[in-house]
Amino acid sequence: METLRPKDARILVVDDERVNVVLLERILEQDGYTNVRSTTKSEQAVALYDEFEPDLILLDLHMPGLDGFAVMERLEDRIARDTFLPILILTADIRPEVKRRALSAGAKDFVTKPFDRTEVLLRIQNLLETRFLHMRLRPELASEGQAT
Amino acid sequence: MWRRYGDAIYTLVTFAVFGFETLALGALSISFLLGRTTGIASTPVEGVLLATLTSTASALALLGFFLLGYHFTSTLRDRWHVEQLDAWTERWIGLALEDTPAEQIADGSMPRRLPRAAVDAVLSLLEVVKGEEGDRLKAVLARHGVDRLLLRHLRSGHLTARLDAIESLGKARLPQAFDALLGLLEHPKPVVRRMAVRAAAGTLATMTPEPGPEGPGGRFTAALKGASLKSGVAQESLLLLETRAGAVLRDLLAEPDLGDRLRWVALETTGRLGLADMAGEVAASTTHPDPELRAAAFRALHRLGSVPEDTHASLLDALRDEVDFVRVQACHAAAFLPAEVALPALEPGLGDDSWWVRRAAASSMARLGDDGVAAVTRAAETHPDQAAREMAVQILLEAGVLDPAGARLVKGVA
Repeated sequence: METLRPKDARILVVDDERVNVVLLERILEQDGYTNVRSTTKSEQAVALYDEFEPDLILLDLHMPGLDGFAVMERLEDRIARDTFLPILILTADIRPEVKRRALSAGAKDFVTKPFDRTEVLLRIQNLLETRFLHMRLRPELASEGQAT
Repeated sequence: MWRRYGDAIYTLVTFAVFGFETLALGALSISFLLGRTTGIASTPVEGVLLATLTSTASALALLGFFLLGYHFTSTLRDRWHVEQLDAWTERWIGLALEDTPAEQIADGSMPRRLPRAAVDAVLSLLEVVKGEEGDRLKAVLARHGVDRLLLRHLRSGHLTARLDAIESLGKARLPQAFDALLGLLEHPKPVVRRMAVRAAAGTLATMTPEPGPEGPGGRFTAALKGASLKSGVAQESLLLLETRAGAVLRDLLAEPDLGDRLRWVALETTGRLGLADMAGEVAASTTHPDPELRAAAFRALHRLGSVPEDTHASLLDALRDEVDFVRVQACHAAAFLPAEVALPALEPGLGDDSWWVRRAAASSMARLGDDGVAAVTRAAETHPDQAAREMAVQILLEAGVLDPAGARLVKGVA
C-alpha cells in the first residue's frame, strides 16, 4: 500500500507529552494532512508502525520506557534497506552530540523544541517529497537491475 | 502524597491492614463489653483495658477512612485537573494556530485571573512552539497579568515560589522578564543562579537581536561574566542560546580579561557547536599560559576541523608542549594542517612517553591521506621504538588498512 500525494501521506507521531501530540495533530490537520496517527506510549510505536505503515514518523527522543533511540533501533530491522522512511526528531535536547547520535541512528532530520510551525511543516513536506520521489524511482531502479 | 506510582495498591494494602486490625480490636472490645455485662470484666483494670481497645479501634477506623477519602479525593482532583488542562490546551492551541479568533477566546467565559490549569497549559505549549504562534500565547499571559505575577514571585521571600516563577518564566521565554532573570545571576543561592541563567538563555534565544553591549546579547554576556556559575551550568546556558550562541561566544572570547573558567567554557562550547567561522577567535587561546586553556583551544580547533594559517606555528610548538594533554590535543588538531607540514611534525609524537600522545599522533597521521598512511605503515615496520611500532599497527588495524593477519606479519617483520 503506497500513497503518492503528500497530503495523503500517513504520518505517525510518537511523543510522551499529550500537549505536544495534540499540537502536532492540529498543525498537520490545519495544513491539510488527513492521515495522522499518534501515541504517547513509545512501547506502541513499533506495533503502530506495523499496522499503519507510515510515510513519515515524528519522534520525540526523551520518553519514559523506550526512548527515541530505542524506538529507532527496533524499527531498523523492519524498514527495508531499499526504502526511504524519514524519521523527523522533535526534541528539546540541544546537545550537538545528541543530534549527531540521532542522525546516525536513522533520523533524517532534527527540529528543536520550541519549534516554529512553518519550519516543521516545511521539513515534513521536504521529507515526504523525498520519500515519494524515492518511491517513484524504485520500480525503475528495480527494472534496471533486472535488465542488467 | 509523596509517591508517584503505586498509590492505589498502597491504599488498598494499608486499608486491608487497618481494617483487619479494626475488626480484631472491635471483636475484642465487644467480647470485653459482653464480659462486663455478664460480670466477667468488672474490675477497673479491665475497664481501662476496654477503653484503650475501643479508642485504638476507633482511631484505626478513622485513619483508614481518612486514607481512603484522601486518595479518592486526590484521584478526583487529579482527573479534574487533567480534564481542565486538556480543555485549556485545546483552547490555547485554537488561539495559537488562529483556529479560534482572539475575541472568542477573550469572551465573557474567560476569567480575569487565569486558573492554574490554564496557566500550566499555556506554559506547556510555549515549551513546544515559538514564532508567531508562541507570540500569541505570550500575549495571553500578558493580557491576564500572569507575566506580572511571575515577576512579582521572582522577588518572593519563599525559595519554592521563586524557583517556580523562574521555571515558569523559563518556559514562557518572556522578553519582559529577561533583565529580572539576569539580575538573579548574582543571587547567593547556586540553584537560583542556575535556573535563572537557563531561563535567561532560553529567553534570549527567542528575542530580536540587537548589536552592542546594550543589546540583550551584550547584557547576557556581561551578566555571565559577573556570575559565579559552575562550568557545566555556564556551558549549558550557552548551548541553550541556539542560533544566538555565536554572537555571545564571540564577545566572550574577544574579552581580554575574561576569567579562565569562562574562557574554557566558551572554547568548549564553540567546539561542541561546530562554529567553524570562529576558528580565528579560538586560535587566539592556543598560546594562553594556562595549559588547560591551550588544550581546550586545540580541542576546539580539532572539532571545528580547521586551523587558521597564522596558528600553524603555535600548533607546531604545542606538539612539543611540556604538558602531555596539550600535546594530545595539538596532535588531534594537526590532522587539519597540510600533510607536508603535519607529517614531519607528528612523527616524533609516535615515540612520546605518553600513550595518549602516541595514539593521537598516529591517528592524525593516518588521517592525512595516502602519504599519512604510508608514514604510519613505515613507522609500524621500522620505528626504533617498540611502543611506537605497536601503536602504528593498532591505528592501521582500526583504520582498516591492515587486517589481523597483516598486523601479525608487520609485527613479525618489525
